[in-house]
Amino acid sequence: MPPYRSKVRVLEKYHIIGFISSGTYGRVYKARSRTPGNMQEFAIKKFKPDKEGEVVQYTGISQSACREMALCSELSHPNVIALHEIILEDKCIYMVFSYAEHDLLQIIHHHSSSPTRPPIPAATIKSILWQLLNGVAYLHQNWVLHRDLKPANIMVTRSGELKIGDLGLARLFYKPLQSLYTGDKVVVTIWYRAPELLLGSKHYTAAIDLWAVGCIFAELLALRPIFKGEEAKMEKKSTVPFQRNQMQKIIEILGTPRKEDWPELTSMPEYSQLPMLKTCPDMLETWWMSVTDGPAAAGGRSFQGFSGSGGTAAGGGLQNTKAGLELLKGLLTYDPMKRWTAQRALESPFFKEGTRVSLHAFDSHENQYPNRRVTQDDNDLSLPGTKRSGLPDDSFAGRAPPVKRVKEN
Amino acid sequence: MAANYWASSQRLHWQMSRAKLAETRRALDAMDEKVFQDFPLPHYRLLSIYFNQQLIRLGRRMQTRQQALATAQLYVRRFYTKVAIRDTNPYLVLATCLYLALKIEECPQHIRIVVNEARTCWPEYMPADTAKLAECEFWLISEMNSFLIVHHPYRTLRELKITLKLTDSEEETASQVINDSCVTDLPLLYPPHVIAVTAIFLTVVLKPSSSMGAFGSSVSNLRVSSAAAAAAAAAAANTMNAQERLQHVVNWFANSKVDMEAIIDCTQEIISLYEVWESYSATGEKSCREMLGRLVKQRGL
Repeated sequence: MPPYRSKVRVLEKYHIIGFISSGTYGRVYKARSRTPGNMQEFAIKKFKPDKEGEVVQYTGISQSACREMALCSELSHPNVIALHEIILEDKCIYMVFSYAEHDLLQIIHHHSSSPTRPPIPAATIKSILWQLLNGVAYLHQNWVLHRDLKPANIMVTRSGELKIGDLGLARLFYKPLQSLYTGDKVVVTIWYRAPELLLGSKHYTAAIDLWAVGCIFAELLALRPIFKGEEAKMEKKSTVPFQRNQMQKIIEILGTPRKEDWPELTSMPEYSQLPMLKTCPDMLETWWMSVTDGPAAAGGRSFQGFSGSGGTAAGGGLQNTKAGLELLKGLLTYDPMKRWTAQRALESPFFKEGTRVSLHAFDSHENQYPNRRVTQDDNDLSLPGTKRSGLPDDSFAGRAPPVKRVKEN
Repeated sequence: MAANYWASSQRLHWQMSRAKLAETRRALDAMDEKVFQDFPLPHYRLLSIYFNQQLIRLGRRMQTRQQALATAQLYVRRFYTKVAIRDTNPYLVLATCLYLALKIEECPQHIRIVVNEARTCWPEYMPADTAKLAECEFWLISEMNSFLIVHHPYRTLRELKITLKLTDSEEETASQVINDSCVTDLPLLYPPHVIAVTAIFLTVVLKPSSSMGAFGSSVSNLRVSSAAAAAAAAAAANTMNAQERLQHVVNWFANSKVDMEAIIDCTQEIISLYEVWESYSATGEKSCREMLGRLVKQRGL
């Protein structure tokens, strides 16, 4: 057959401004349309081509790229990143997305790295959480599980609109032909991984995404991951190790799970591991007070190193919101059957009391966040697979990125 | 949208009228007059049956589920509305469509396995180099504008099974009819629920004795119109129980807002498929194989 030729050329249509980030999938560039008068900015995600020696080969598109192409082409929602087009050119896949200036990881980092650790304003947290839940509700209504929600994958535009991104691990869960587990042994970055996944459940549900949302909510308040466990590495490809340290971190704050609260607990494959962990009482309320009111309210000391910033309590203005704590409890419920759904969470009084929820996260204050760092030294699209400079998307100082994915078969 | 047909790429970008489809195919044939003259091919209906047989052969070797097969078939059909068959190696296209469909339906197979199995099916025509299939995948996705999620009638059938109190064997027959609809242009022309309702209509109202071949002969003599349908409905009901149930289905058809004209058109299409299928037999397969073989060999595809 004649060699494949793309009808559209990326560089004829787009002007590459610079390099943004890279990950296991490939690299992301900031770009602008070459159409005169069109000032719109784009993020172009280039999937890494496989190489055999020095020659780039066609090797079959990864399951992850297939999912992202297929799902992003169907989805359309203000809180899900918008795909403009896909260009398949010179053995590479380019997905052209709308550009978003910020992401939650960068916003959290901006606060946590300032000398005074100023909290994220309550109205901003509320808006972010509401938009996030709205996007997740849309995905779930459409039978899409995201399976990798975390701050780095959640974009925010300059005007404060939240966009859920990176659907590379997402998939449809309507009547799957084979179990979700068979497809991917490990899903969700460890700090955001739900307890049923940690305990080896083969059949999981949309509730895993809501656990991750709960973790993100907590992180917006505390400016650090609530359950920052250390990942046990996979020794053999075939066996998934029990994530003991991660499970312990959860138990230290939420208490040891009980079968009265979670009837299926005893039938979890890794249930036998639980007695080996340190038993703890439920401390979530104490945790909540320490991050929203400052250490004073939590008995004069920070709770396991979690604290707001003294006088200016974290999540400033959330001190008296019982509803906020209820919402967090709902999202971080052990039993996935009882865990709040996105719809239920959206109906929480948390979003009804106090200031009205804004669709723009920065309404309450000037957008103070620095623009995404774009490097100029490596914006040559034509060099596939070369080592990049610049920051990988997940690695702000002091935050070693946990391994996200196991290579798919 | 992934779960909602009404907002899906299938409805918004991959549904067309009969006239548009015919015109598209004419234009493709006219692109290269000489090649068109030099390489005669069987009628598209016959080719569809042949492609279906070949895909099933390949699919069986990998225990492919019907839904993935149906997705692959629609990919083949979409691709050939954009690209002239005579410019392609159809065997490579079939294997590529199945390889991609397996990934999209979340039951992936390694590219090497797909190529090896395809080589076993078509040793003379299937290139051994996996890069060839991977390159074809780029072409395929590009021509489909990256719209890869497909809505099939099976889901509507499962839902209506309960509403219409279909028996297991009726559901089975109806899903066979849906499988057969993949051999026609219907998935490019009509929404999946219309095809599902057609399959139920054929199963319950026109009551074939069994599926596929036998089914074909039992219904192929019927000329369906809305009047005939009602007559057939009445005639088909023998026992009391069956009559009640049939009445239930007929009432549902009467009260639902299904587009009866569309159902009739789909019914006609499937019945004419069965007619063609009956006359296809071994000679049809042989001539498809020979003509395609000559095309692939002589054009060096």
